Amino acid sequence: MTAQLALAQTRNPLGAVRWDLVMRLGLLAIIVALAVVFSITASGFATMQNVENNARQMAVVGILAVAETFVIITAGIDLSVGSLLGLAGIIIALGLSHGLMLPVALALVCGAGIGVGLINGSLISAASLPPFIVTLGMLGILRGLTQIFGNGQQVAYDSPSLTNFAANSTLGLPNIFLVFLAVCLVAAFVLHLTRRGRYMFAIGSNMESARRAGINVRATTLTVYAISGLLAALAGVLLTARQAQGDPNAGTGYELDAIAAAVLGGASLFGARGSIVGTFLGVVLVQIMANGLNLLNFDPQVARILEGALLILFVYLDRWRKPRLAAA
Amino acid sequence: MILQHADTTSQEPLLQARAVSKHYGSVRALHEVDFEVYAGEIVALIGDNGAGKSTLAKIISGAETPDTGTLALRGASVNFESPADARKAGIETTYQDLALAPDLDVAANLFLGRELLRPGLLGTLDVLDRPAMRQSAQEHLREFGIRVTSIDQRVDTLSGGQRQSIAVARTVLWGSGIVIMDEPTAALGVAQTALVLQLVRAVSRKGTAVVFISHNLPHVFEVAHRIVVLRHGQRVGSLDPSSATMDNAVSLMTGAATTHA
Repeated sequence: MTAQLALAQTRNPLGAVRWDLVMRLGLLAIIVALAVVFSITASGFATMQNVENNARQMAVVGILAVAETFVIITAGIDLSVGSLLGLAGIIIALGLSHGLMLPVALALVCGAGIGVGLINGSLISAASLPPFIVTLGMLGILRGLTQIFGNGQQVAYDSPSLTNFAANSTLGLPNIFLVFLAVCLVAAFVLHLTRRGRYMFAIGSNMESARRAGINVRATTLTVYAISGLLAALAGVLLTARQAQGDPNAGTGYELDAIAAAVLGGASLFGARGSIVGTFLGVVLVQIMANGLNLLNFDPQVARILEGALLILFVYLDRWRKPRLAAA
Repeated sequence: MILQHADTTSQEPLLQARAVSKHYGSVRALHEVDFEVYAGEIVALIGDNGAGKSTLAKIISGAETPDTGTLALRGASVNFESPADARKAGIETTYQDLALAPDLDVAANLFLGRELLRPGLLGTLDVLDRPAMRQSAQEHLREFGIRVTSIDQRVDTLSGGQRQSIAVARTVLWGSGIVIMDEPTAALGVAQTALVLQLVRAVSRKGTAVVFISHNLPHVFEVAHRIVVLRHGQRVGSLDPSSATMDNAVSLMTGAATTHA
């Protein structure tokens, strides 16, 4: 998949796409350089145990970053994913602790995620409200509901199949990371190879053009926010599974980490630019940096500062792309 | 100078608008306008800024719905709720502001909203057939004499003239009954303009009706079979470019002369 996508990009010999590729390769180079430096300087970095830890830790925010990639490509934003993650975690913990079967609880949580996404999408596409405002409102609403449902406390549950799944590995890779990988593969397929995915780019490029070309902008927008909601719910389930309890504060602020990872990976808040490969690299970079600096006994805040600085630097460099002509 | 087009009185119009009115708030954009276009005919729609040309074009193309009045296609009453409805009926539009997706490449723009899918299972999974679309786009651009560096070039890297050509090519490519071109020669150089006018004649010869909206009277007189003049949202005349002069047209547009068509 990755090779195929890279090929599709290099085939275009021109301007913007080539710069996109340079930026992605630059990101990859930074990741490799950091990995080499940390392997030499930080004992315990280049161990199987640590690689597994990184893989496990990046999965939750990584899935949210994939969700943001969809939304950002349509020139939208979804600030509610962190809160939705928290709500989903509480719902599944409550459901399981009240004796719901695991598949039923999972279906309930996925339905809730899609439902929230459809509400976001409806308010944005049908009522023409700005995505930032709609999802900011939803961020507050969902966090409040989560605290009320969870009574402001951790919710214990007992479901060995769920917690074991999150703790175990398959073929040497943590199951949680494999879920993240699978999400990336499906997302890359949808975004880059299907007609529906192309419509997402078209809407982000020029919504009015897309509408006039006969694209069902409303249905596509609804789909995008529903996907975002579903992925946030999935991330919530994984985090609750990993922590073996529901936490009403889980996911607070994750939406910003997810957006940062997607933007580091080349997604543009103006729409129509972004890729799953790029987002994956963005997620890996943030994770490796935090982990390496932590092993070197830096204050955890140093990683945040560097991440913020890199984000600004990348967006600044991105402006070197061929400047846009007047909007068509 | 005031006349009915000779070919057009005998047959039924392909598209006929009757007494169409449209208001935006208190602004009267169109008032009881009749408009008709016949198969294979190039009708120019002219008028000063705010005369209602674009509003009429949007109503015919389904982008706006009239407050009152009716539309009939091949004699049957139609009611377009959206551009998609009009497209299904075979009406395609090139818009004044181009309506391309600047971040997508040339092939993607030519096929926007009409993507080809892979045959078989992959098609069922909504997978695009990029090679087929690229090849077909290549062929069509060659046929239309439109040169771009690469079919994979993003549209925002093209010149204004190239972009207009792509927009026109897309309209021509998909229009099966009626093609509406809103200022297709605006911002084009001499050579590109000639190319667009040549495209317009080519489609009309295939039997497609062309509604050609333009400020540029020389272009209008060069290509149109019939000219409809709007002023202040009303139809004020109809001209035969083979006998009328540009002065006649300007008089009608500015209200210096009045007539009934």
